Parts: sequence; structure tokens; C-alpha cells
Amino acid sequence: MGVNYNDVEVGNKMPVYISAPITRTHLVRYAGASGDFNPLHHDETFIKMIGRKHVIAHGMLIMGIVGEAITSWIENKYLRKFNARFLSMTEPADLDDMENTKDRATIIVSGEVVKKFEENGEKRIQCDIIAQDALGSKKLSGFFIAALP
Amino acid sequence: MADKSKLGMEFPAYTFTIEKDKIVEFAIAVSQKENKEQINPIYYDEEAAKKAGYQGIPIPPTFPISTFFWTGGGLMATVKTLGIDLNRLLHREEEYEYFGSIYAGDVITRKMKVVDMLKKGKRDKIVEVTLLETDLINQRGELVVKSRTRLMER
Repeated sequence: MGVNYNDVEVGNKMPVYISAPITRTHLVRYAGASGDFNPLHHDETFIKMIGRKHVIAHGMLIMGIVGEAITSWIENKYLRKFNARFLSMTEPADLDDMENTKDRATIIVSGEVVKKFEENGEKRIQCDIIAQDALGSKKLSGFFIAALP
Repeated sequence: MADKSKLGMEFPAYTFTIEKDKIVEFAIAVSQKENKEQINPIYYDEEAAKKAGYQGIPIPPTFPISTFFWTGGGLMATVKTLGIDLNRLLHREEEYEYFGSIYAGDVITRKMKVVDMLKKGKRDKIVEVTLLETDLINQRGELVVKSRTRLMER
């Protein structure tokens, strides 16, 4: 198992990863795990104060999901760099209206190998990443660099 | 409005012990699972981790962020120090550069500094950007992760 440098070509796609629809419970769990207690992510009264309708997911939760997507393909120990630019906010699904809200809360991660190179005596790849919701709205773009055997 | 006099400021160094159960909790959160039996065993089983080529239980790729939130008063104290308005705050970009590995039991020192503060845009659409750089150094004095965080005020 595992991906080898010689098996990867520029233009290869990373396996597509589809998250579960993000719920408020996922946000609370992530808040506790990471320590990010910005009320933007869990407190509806704060949300009203700043004129929004719903709490929004932590950008870092989306990046964490992307990290999970990457390490489902490339082993964690091979990562050398991981970059994410946050493009839009993600609202969680509403439990009382899953059918109409699950797509905005489902994160689809895809990626493409754009470079193979040697650096620091290692064989490395760069893979560009896009995360979007199931409605096609882009949430995050970035890249990772991995050193492969 | 971010306080421009804070450009170049170095925050105090804080230490953070990488606790085993905190890794499990984080790995469950980012994989949207319910319990540890559902996650990759490298994040809770030391033997599985060693078999997979790690020297101990590793951390998920974005786990370094928790060293920021769990020390030095976390987000609230940091934005207050920088004069950033929480109501207008957006996280614009995050980057990790991994020079080594962080394992359960490591004692990590985080050193964060303000490397840039700038205004972008025109007239009514001006946004302020603050760039923070953080070194994570382990108990042997090795720089293991460098992170770059771009914050924006709308």
C-alpha cells in the first residue's frame, strides 16, 4: 500500500473525498478539539448581533477535512507543506430541513498533481487542492507538498 | 482596526504538551466520526503508529492550530492584543511547513510574531490584513513546524 513517487504523474488526480454533511454538533466537537471558541461558530445570539442568519463552520474545520482527505491518500508522515486559502463561509445543515440544507454543508475535496521535483534530497510532489460544497460553491483552495518514497 | 504599532511584535513563548487523548479528539473531529475505533489507528495505537513508520503517535496535519487556541489566552486575547475587531475578523489563509514530526508526549513551545500588517483595497472596500508567523519547537530544541496565518478585517 501507499503511493510511490514513480507511480505519480503530473496531471494525476487525488481520489475525491466527500465529507458527511457538517452539522452544528460537528462544529461543537471541533471547537472543543481545537480550542477555537469564536462564538461565530456556535452562538446564534452572536450571529444575530453581526447580522448573519446561521452559525458558520470554522475555516480550520474545512482545512482539517481537507487534511483528512489528503492523508487518506498520502501518508501523514510524508507531508512537507499544507496551504489553504479560505474562499467562502460554510453554513451547517439544519437537522429539521436536512433535505434542503445538506448540500451546502457537504464538502467535496479534489486535487491534481501539478509538479514533481527534487528538494532537500527528497522526491517531492505538489498537489493543488480545491474544496467545494455539493452546490459547487468554492470553500478553499490550496496545495500540499509531499516527499514520497 | 488592527493596531499598526504591533508590527514586528513577538508574543511571549508558551509551552503546550501534546496529549494523547487530545490527538484522538482532534482526529475524530476532522474525520467527523463518533469514537476512536472509527479513525485511523495511528492516532491512538502506538504499535499501529510504529508499524506505519512513526516514532510515536503522530498528530493530524492541522493539529498545530490547537497550540494557538489553548495557550496565551487563545483567539480572544490575541485579537485584543492586536486591536482586531472580532466582529469583522476573517481567517484568510493558513499554511503549515513540516520540518519534523510532532508526537504524543512532546512538549512544544510556540513562538508567534507579527510579520506584516497592511491595508488592501480602495475607499469603502479597504480590508486590513495581519500576517502571523509561528514556530513550533519541541523539547529537544528542534523547529518541527512553522505556520503562517493570514487574518483579515472586513
